[in-house]
Amino acid sequence: MIRLVLLLVFVCCFSLATVLQPHFDLGHRQDKSGSVLAALMGDSRRMFANQFFAKADAYFHKGFYPTIFDNAKKEGPSHLSEEAHEAPGHDEHEEGFLGPPHDWIERFGRNFFPTVHTHLQGGNQREILPWLQLSADLDPNRIETYVVAAYWLRTQLNKPKEAEAFLRQGLRANPDSYEILLELGRVYYYNNKNPSVARNIWEIALQKWRKQDESKGKPDVRIYEEILGEMVRDDQQTGDLQKLLPDLEALKLVSPNKESVQKYIDDAKAKMAH
Amino acid sequence: MNNVMALSGVVIIEMYRRKDFYVLFVMTALITLILGSMRFFDDDMIVRYLKEVCLLLIWISSLVIAISTTARQIPAERESRTIFPLLAKPVSRAQLIAGKFFGCWLACGLALIVFYLFFGVITASREHAWPMASYFQAISMHWIALGIVIALVLFGSVVFTAPSSNATICFIIVIGLMFVGGHLNKMALVPGMSGKIIYAIYYMIPHLEWYDLRDRIIHDWGRVPWGAWAGAILYGILYSGFLLGAAWAVFRRKTLTV
Repeated sequence: MIRLVLLLVFVCCFSLATVLQPHFDLGHRQDKSGSVLAALMGDSRRMFANQFFAKADAYFHKGFYPTIFDNAKKEGPSHLSEEAHEAPGHDEHEEGFLGPPHDWIERFGRNFFPTVHTHLQGGNQREILPWLQLSADLDPNRIETYVVAAYWLRTQLNKPKEAEAFLRQGLRANPDSYEILLELGRVYYYNNKNPSVARNIWEIALQKWRKQDESKGKPDVRIYEEILGEMVRDDQQTGDLQKLLPDLEALKLVSPNKESVQKYIDDAKAKMAH
Repeated sequence: MNNVMALSGVVIIEMYRRKDFYVLFVMTALITLILGSMRFFDDDMIVRYLKEVCLLLIWISSLVIAISTTARQIPAERESRTIFPLLAKPVSRAQLIAGKFFGCWLACGLALIVFYLFFGVITASREHAWPMASYFQAISMHWIALGIVIALVLFGSVVFTAPSSNATICFIIVIGLMFVGGHLNKMALVPGMSGKIIYAIYYMIPHLEWYDLRDRIIHDWGRVPWGAWAGAILYGILYSGFLLGAAWAVFRRKTLTV
């Protein structure tokens, strides 16, 4: 009798599996990223992705990083992102978050953990990469991760091929991202020395930005300014005044330094008159 | 002293006969080696994530070994009634406490040497460096921290009846001390009586966070000033002594009949 019951249970399980399997397959196909992590963790992976990005920032500061108990800067981008949008040589450091020690225990305890604000240098920036890769795997829609990783790969680690591959991975997950396109254009312009492809990519980036602006998506004006800045630099390099003038006019509308842009416009007009 | 050493020897033999250490070491090694085999952006010089994971596993493993080994020492002796002939030897109750403490502490020290040797080899295979002074400070500080934890668990084992409850409570206390202990003074900035109470607790608790040199090792910050290292070692020894004294004070008045 028991054998019959066991056999019946086994047959039921088998039948149920054949019924359920197609539904699971359908569910997996509907999932955009289709990764095991996405299936297992759902939306909670975004929280972990932010955590791993913060970990990369902590590594960039060689472990000198605030805890939830410290007076950290609450809002704004991380230093990793700030560096990715600044000119080289930028060295503006915030005041130490630790402040003066409250008592002798805290003063003594500071001997045992990093207390100096420094950044990774001399190729050691590579140490942030595993955490950025992990962050991107967990949240493929976190655009900042691709941009920051690509910046360090192409500027400090001399790995433009890897930067491009990572940006293209990001672009597949975020096809409307003008930030990723801006950085991809930089890889072609500065590293691959292919300005015509770079310019085409930046023009697509501009289109994407304007499309989001028209649909009231509130795109980042700073990125728009950066895209135009790169295009103006290319125009000046190639001496293409026909393209330079409209680019400068567009840049003037958003630039905080309108007077200097106007000066460039006047110069371009003077050259065209000749 | 001979009695204490004899008791310690028994604890050390017990530890290498049990499977706890081997299982934890194999797991640590396996996870580290699997992570080490991963390549990120075709760069084989990335090492700090590996150091971080390996050191984290070493800390977790060492705490598990220290707490689980220590928590069962006295309750097991009582349960199997071997404590009666042991105390009739004559071995005093103070010697029993000291013997159990040194046994667990030395056993943890041996385990730490194996763990850190593995860590050193893995790190050197990527970084090609052996910062001996930093490693010596890290292992000695870690060992002293485990001494405080073992003394705490021994104290718990004469207060709580079951080893499982003692181990669980001690785990929670140790994790709390490591993550929150050093920040209690910031929490105590609230005005009023509660702030004063939190500050008093801050001064009373053992500051285990001092002994965690992982960030210095991972990010190559070099060694701690020797004066600070010596101060932390002295603090740890004194705190362990205090906890052992408290354990003995409770144990000497405790009725041992089951």
